[in-house]
Amino acid sequence: MNAHLVAARRRERWRRLPLATVGILVLLFLALPILVVVPMSFSSAESLRFPPPGLSLRWYEAFFSDPLWLEAALNSLIVGISSSTIALGLGTLAAYGIVRGTFWGRGALETNFISPMILPPVIIAVALYIFYARIGILGNYLALIAAHVVIAVPYVVLLMTLAIRSFDIRVEQVALTLGASRWQMMTRVLMPNLLPNAAAAWLFAFVISFDEVVVTLFVSGTHLTIPKRMFNQLVLQINPTITAIATILICFSLAAVALAAWLNRGNGFVSKADGEGH
Amino acid sequence: MSNQTQTGKVVPGRYLARTKPATRRFSGRLPSGFVWVLPLLLLVGLVFNLPLLMTAASSLVDQKTGAFTLGNFEQVAASKVYLPVVWRTIRIALVVSFACALIGYPLAYWMTRLSRRGQTVALAIIVTSFWVSILVRTYAWIVILGNSGIVNRFLMASGLTETPVEFLYNELGVAIGMINVLLPFMLLPLFAAMLQVDPRLRQIAFTMGASSFQFFWRVFFPLTLPALGATFILISILSLGFYITPAILGGGKVPLIANMLDILINQFPRWNLAAAISLVLLVLTVGLFVVYQHLRRVE
Repeated sequence: MNAHLVAARRRERWRRLPLATVGILVLLFLALPILVVVPMSFSSAESLRFPPPGLSLRWYEAFFSDPLWLEAALNSLIVGISSSTIALGLGTLAAYGIVRGTFWGRGALETNFISPMILPPVIIAVALYIFYARIGILGNYLALIAAHVVIAVPYVVLLMTLAIRSFDIRVEQVALTLGASRWQMMTRVLMPNLLPNAAAAWLFAFVISFDEVVVTLFVSGTHLTIPKRMFNQLVLQINPTITAIATILICFSLAAVALAAWLNRGNGFVSKADGEGH
Repeated sequence: MSNQTQTGKVVPGRYLARTKPATRRFSGRLPSGFVWVLPLLLLVGLVFNLPLLMTAASSLVDQKTGAFTLGNFEQVAASKVYLPVVWRTIRIALVVSFACALIGYPLAYWMTRLSRRGQTVALAIIVTSFWVSILVRTYAWIVILGNSGIVNRFLMASGLTETPVEFLYNELGVAIGMINVLLPFMLLPLFAAMLQVDPRLRQIAFTMGASSFQFFWRVFFPLTLPALGATFILISILSLGFYITPAILGGGKVPLIANMLDILINQFPRWNLAAAISLVLLVLTVGLFVVYQHLRRVE
């Protein structure tokens, strides 16, 4: 290698230094909240000092010994599990109808099912509040679950239409030619093959429901969920217990999303940013 | 056994007698398939479409008399309370989108020049941030930006300022929190679009004597501009409906449209006015979304 080339390469590296600095700083800015919250949850101090003066598990104890937090956690689990299960069932059926059906207006219907993901949650919250209040089911547990289904189902429809589209239609044709009914084909051929996708869709729906704040704040009445209680506490006062819950939530959603991404590998959903609750 | 004979009888019979429906049956496509969509359509129709229609209807109704009126919209347009909030929301949405573009583009571009492993690490950070609850990410900024937070202690220790800088409970704090939450929505599509640019273009440009500066501004940047525009609009759409971040980091002093809706619904029961404002937000969002889809198609 001659001296000229070496010098050129060094110049190139120097020229990229500002870009690398900006890149690293922006990545740091993104990661900063997580880098701060996790260590603070192990703090022994009453105040929000960073770095924490000493280590303890007291905020985790505070969380697990507070009946209101536990009630919120139980509700979050019940609402999350039931709404994502209903969303998976209805969403998968609808995805199949949209992909393999021939009726008019399939595209419009798909857009309609996906639009709760794109609309600001507050619009859905206001609309549901007015509607639920008029028919007298505001604060009803089942009504809350129904709202969560609508918010979570876009992810199921998106993932399952993708999965069914990439499933070889000739396998379905063979099953039908051999005398299987459409339902038998669906339950005994299609779904076993799409099980990983369905599991991923369920997990995504669950995480979305578990994280949902805005619609829950408007329509849940007296029922508590974890994000709702967190929000209410954050607006009023700063309580370090929240750092412990935040850390549990970080681990929880990352594990769920990593599992979902692994189940759904090849479909490239996780890296595609689409609307999420705000 | 009987099952077998039955299918043996029925299927060829159908196949011969009525060719058209039979081919359709075995083509794997559904004759109509509408039944499959029906359960979800019923639920979404009842718990999403109908409420939205009712909102639209109540925005045109006077709260006291119940008569048809455009008064709710007039009240928003003429008000000294509501209109400034709408403008502030639009202003913050624009600032946040610009800031995301300004810091997101260099990062995405830098990532395209990294090694495979470097890209994986960077993507892992972005995706992690994307999936961590917005509440958690917003909450952390109270600790970071508060009067005795990390940033202020650093500023005071280094002698740059005597008294703590007010980052929280003003537009600056809200904007910082929103940029942090929305940046992944900018980075992921932008990075994907940048990877689509054919790497051979760089070689061609250099062979033809372009400097890397010229290559970037005359080839690479124009090629990624539609993606930048599309993500810019996506961020604006998401910003317009933000509720959590302004509520927590604004401390009630920086309400955006969503927070105003919360007040009109949960504190003063003025549903019809809230419905009108919500409809304005809906029209803004859908309008921007149409532009977004158009830009995506150009891309």
